[in-house]
Amino acid sequence: MSLAAYAESFERFAAGLPEPQRAARRAELQRFLDAGFPTPRIEEWHYTDLAPLADRSFTLAGPAAAFAFEPLPGADQLVYLNGRLDRARSTAPELHADHLPEQAGSDSVSALNGAFASGGLHLQLARGQALPRPLQVVLAGVAGEAPAMVHQRHRIELGDNAEATLVFQFLGQGGGRLATQVIEVNLGPGARLNLYRVQDEQAEATLLSRIDARLDRDSRLTAVVVDCGSGLVRHDFNVSLAAPGAEVALAGLYQPAPGSHLDNHTRIVHAAPHCRSRERFKGIVDARAKAVFVGKVVVQPGAQKTDSEQHIANLLLSKKAEVNAKPELEIYADDVKCAHGATVGQLDDVALEYLRSRGIAAAEARAMLLRAFGAEVLERIGLPALRARLAARMGLGAEGAPAEIE
Amino acid sequence: MLEIKNLQARVDGKDILKGLSLEVRAGEVHAIMGPNGSGKSTTAHVLAGREGYEVTGGTVTFDGKNLLELEPEERACEGIFLGFQYPVEIPGVSNLTLLKAALNARRKYRGQPEIEPTDFLAWVRDRAKLVKIDPKMLSRGVNEGFSGGEKKRNEILQMLILEPRLMILDETDSGLDIDALKIVADGINALRSPERATVLVTHYQRLLDYVQPDHVHVLAGGRIVKSGGAELARELEEKGYGWLEAA
Repeated sequence: MSLAAYAESFERFAAGLPEPQRAARRAELQRFLDAGFPTPRIEEWHYTDLAPLADRSFTLAGPAAAFAFEPLPGADQLVYLNGRLDRARSTAPELHADHLPEQAGSDSVSALNGAFASGGLHLQLARGQALPRPLQVVLAGVAGEAPAMVHQRHRIELGDNAEATLVFQFLGQGGGRLATQVIEVNLGPGARLNLYRVQDEQAEATLLSRIDARLDRDSRLTAVVVDCGSGLVRHDFNVSLAAPGAEVALAGLYQPAPGSHLDNHTRIVHAAPHCRSRERFKGIVDARAKAVFVGKVVVQPGAQKTDSEQHIANLLLSKKAEVNAKPELEIYADDVKCAHGATVGQLDDVALEYLRSRGIAAAEARAMLLRAFGAEVLERIGLPALRARLAARMGLGAEGAPAEIE
Repeated sequence: MLEIKNLQARVDGKDILKGLSLEVRAGEVHAIMGPNGSGKSTTAHVLAGREGYEVTGGTVTFDGKNLLELEPEERACEGIFLGFQYPVEIPGVSNLTLLKAALNARRKYRGQPEIEPTDFLAWVRDRAKLVKIDPKMLSRGVNEGFSGGEKKRNEILQMLILEPRLMILDETDSGLDIDALKIVADGINALRSPERATVLVTHYQRLLDYVQPDHVHVLAGGRIVKSGGAELARELEEKGYGWLEAA
C-alpha cells in the first residue's frame, strides 16, 4: 500500500493554503497516511474493500465545463461541479462557505476528507427560523482526462425550533473519480430537519459519503435516502440522539445497478433517555449487483425508555445478486423497546399468479409488485417532484394508478 | 362454450385428474361436488392455468380455442375468471390499482382504449354496493387486512367488475356465515345470463340453495362418476359421498 500519490497531491494543494489551515490539514493527512484506507479486516468495512484505492493516483479535480441536472420546482439550488460552486446555477449562493474547519473526525476516510476538503453548504438557522423553500444541493462529479478526486464538507446547524428541508444529490458523469462528502448536522432543541440523500453515480466512480448528525432535546430528523446509481458507493449515516425527546426516522431504498457495489451503514446512538428511532430500509437487487446494509443501534447506559425499530427488506431478482443485511444491536440499558427484523426474498410467486389470473401480463404484474415494494419508502418523500422523478428513474413509476375513492 | 375431454393432470408428480370430461354451454350453471381429494380444486386450477398443474392428457377448448395453450392472463382476457379458495393478500398494490389494470388488460386484448378514470370509479362504486363492500376499503392493498368473508366478497366484486363469460368459483362458499353466503350468491346470480356460464366447485350443498345449478356432477378419483340435476346435490347432502364410492 503506497498512498504516495495522495501525499504528493497534498503537497501541491497545501502550497496554496493559508498557514493556519495548512497545519491542521497536514495533521489530518498524516492521520490518513498512518491508518491508510480501511480494509475488510476492520469490522465496519467487512463488506467493502477500499484497499485498491491506495495505489491509484487521483489529482484534485479541475473545473468542469458543464453538467446537466434538473432543478426541483419550488426549490432553491446550490450546485457544485467537481466541488466548485457553480454560481450561475445556484439560486442560494449565500449558503456556500469556502472553508469549514474540520471537526474531530474518526475514521481514516474522514481524515482524507479533512486534509483536502473544500467547502460546501453551510446552513445556519437561528432560533425559530425556517428555510422558506427546500434547498437542493447538487454535488456533481465530472470526469476529466486523468483520474480526479473531490473532497467536500458541509455543515447544517439549526437553532431552537428551526426548520429546513434539504435535498443532497450525488450525481456523476464518467468514471475514474473518487469523491468523499462529509455532512455535519447539528439540530438544536425542537429543530426539525427533513433530509433527502439521493445517489445516482456512474460505473467506475467511487463515492464515500458520511453524515454525522447530533440531535438535541425534542428535535427531529426525518431522512429518506435513495440509491439508484452504479459504481462503488459507501454511505455512513451516524445519528446521535443526545438529549431526551429526540427522534430520528430514517428510510432508505436502494437499487444498485448491475456491476455496482453499494454499502449503506447506519449507526444510531441512543445517548439519552426517551428518544425514538425508526429505520426502514428496502433493497431491490438484480444480477451482478452487490448491496450491503448494516444497521447499528447502540443504547447507552442510562438511555432508558428508548423506543427503537429497525426493519430491513431485500428483494433479490436474480440468483446472481448478492445482499448482506445485518442488524447490530448493542443495548446497555434495561428498560427499552428495541425491535428489528431483516428479510431477503424473491418476488411473491403467489401474488404474481393472482395478478395474472386477473388478466394482467406477467411483466406488468412484476412491475406492480416492485412498485408496491418501493412505494413504501418513496411515499415518505415529501417533495412530489422528487418522488416522481426517483420513481421514474428506478422504473417504479406509478403510471396507471387510479384516483382514490374518497 | 367449454369442452373438457378426457382431461388428465398431475400435481407434484401425483396423478389427480384421470380422464375428466365435461361440457358447459352458455347460460348454464354447473356444480362440481365431491369428497376431499377428488380433484375438484385441481380442475378449477387447470382451467385457469395455474403453475404447478401439469396436464398429461386430454383437451380443453373454450369457444373452440385450445385453452391449454394460453397463458393464465390470456385465459382471463378471453373471459375466464377463477374465484380463489384462498384469495391472496398483496400489500402495497391497492384493490383499485388491480381492478383498473385488470380491466384495461382486457380492453387492450380486445383492441379497446383504456377506461376513463371517472367511468372506472363510478363502475366500481356501483358494483361494490352489490356485495356490500365499502368503496373506501378498495384504496387499501389487495385483501390487506380483510376478514375471511371480506376476501370472498372481494373475489365476487372483482368478478362483477370484470364481467367474465365463464366463472369458475373454487369453494368460494367455504368458511362463510349465512349472510356472507347470501351476498356471494347474489353476486353470482347478478351475472347469470344466457351468454355466461358458471362452474361452482363446492364441498357443500348450502350454496346451491341460493344459486340453482342446472347440472350437478360428482367427482371422485379424478373423474366424474355421476351427473344429474339439482336434486343430486340434495341427495349427496343426505347420503354423503360414501354410497358413490361403493358403487
